[in-house]
Amino acid sequence: MIGLGLRTLLAKEVRRFLRVPGQTLLSPLVTTTLYFVVFGWSLGARLQDVEGVPYARFIVPGLVTLGVVTNAYLNSASSLFVMKLQGTVVDLLVTPLSHGEVLAGFVCAAVLRGLLVGGVMWLVAGAFSGFHVAHPAFALLLVLLAAVAFAALGVMTAIWAATFEQVNFFPTFVITPLTFLGGVFYSARMLPPGLRTLTLANPVFYLVDGVRWGLVGISDAPPLAGLAILVALAAAALGGAYAMLASGYKLRG
Amino acid sequence: MNDHVVEIRGLVKRWGDLTALAGVDLDVRRGEIFGLLGPNGAGKTTLISVVAGLARATAGTVRVLGHDVVRDYQFTRRAIGLVPQEINFDPFFTVEEALRFQAGYFGVRLSEERLVEILGALDLAAKRGTNARALSGGMKRRLLIGKALVHDPQVLFLDEPTAGVDVELRQQLWRHVRRLRDRGTTVVLTTHYLEEAEELADRIAVIDRGRLLLLEDKAALMARNAGQRLQDVYVALLQREREQREER
Repeated sequence: MIGLGLRTLLAKEVRRFLRVPGQTLLSPLVTTTLYFVVFGWSLGARLQDVEGVPYARFIVPGLVTLGVVTNAYLNSASSLFVMKLQGTVVDLLVTPLSHGEVLAGFVCAAVLRGLLVGGVMWLVAGAFSGFHVAHPAFALLLVLLAAVAFAALGVMTAIWAATFEQVNFFPTFVITPLTFLGGVFYSARMLPPGLRTLTLANPVFYLVDGVRWGLVGISDAPPLAGLAILVALAAAALGGAYAMLASGYKLRG
Repeated sequence: MNDHVVEIRGLVKRWGDLTALAGVDLDVRRGEIFGLLGPNGAGKTTLISVVAGLARATAGTVRVLGHDVVRDYQFTRRAIGLVPQEINFDPFFTVEEALRFQAGYFGVRLSEERLVEILGALDLAAKRGTNARALSGGMKRRLLIGKALVHDPQVLFLDEPTAGVDVELRQQLWRHVRRLRDRGTTVVLTTHYLEEAEELADRIAVIDRGRLLLLEDKAALMARNAGQRLQDVYVALLQREREQREER
């Protein structure tokens, strides 16, 4: 049974992001709509199908994945980091909440925001490209694991970071480039051999590719490879975040 | 049964090369107001931080109600309320939400009756639905006290609770501290205002450079130094310590 302490932390974190819906939910919605208006609607008719899938439909999984992981990361990272800056993290550190409960509270709230944003993005995309989902359970599992992994990475960053610049470093210089270069807008099969090898070395490629198999039914790599990589990444990120909380690193003198 | 609610033995805390606490031994008795005095950087806040779980001791032990603050942290943190020195607030939430969340973290569902009692005692009833961002400095400090009280702790640590607070509010807080003591709450108070310690404390401890210089019943201390104010005794003590250090 989930204790009142964890439920309270979760409720507080969810209420926090719902208090600023323009920033947390509507902003990614606008960005996604623009992507689909430009790539799906305006240019979509002129772009070739990719592996038999209309281009507007082909780009949906990558953009939804980007929305989910970015928002899951930003929620836990910004919330915990701002608590550190404002000093309100003391309110949490003096409580009997265990390290696992603190981690679960931040991760679950961040996952919820990631899935909400991803869901809204998928609905917007569906208006342009249809709502058929090839393997819904697999797609949901992959997106959920991705949200957990990036939410835990957000917790780790918040604990480590001393400035907002450091918090924003990861989404700007790691998540977005790896996602865009991970086959959001193209199939790895369309690339020349050198670039294809580079793409296959990018772990986010397997995430995007796996979600594409789940949502659209096509993939460049075995879908289970994406699942295996995500399970490993989620486990490592949760383990790392737990270890940081348990050690008191940068939180408990 | 031992009437010590806090037992500190050989407590050492180093921050890098700086020794903030250099082997402190002291006990806090049940139901007393314990005044912990010392100049800036003496180690008062570090000591409180170790007891409350905000910092980890380099060496030594701290027990609260007989339980080790590291091994049995869930027990000891339920027994402790902490009002930190620095004012903090979450601009996303109202006074009521802040209190309810804080109670929830401790596994306590805050009843309407208890909420009204805390708000009334801290003169915040009219601000129940106000965002914490819109409170004055004094109100924010009272909200911190409210958050420290929501789980009805047996020991309340007040780290310079009246710093920068006007005279009226200070006296209001003093009344509230006495009421808490009268209800059985043990209060540990750090302050730079010597008249505050003289007014409130049952026992006085003075630390400087991480070492305990004095620990005595206030009444006995004042009787020993008849005709003097606590401020005079405190200044003389620190002066003597400084001279002895220079001689060494």
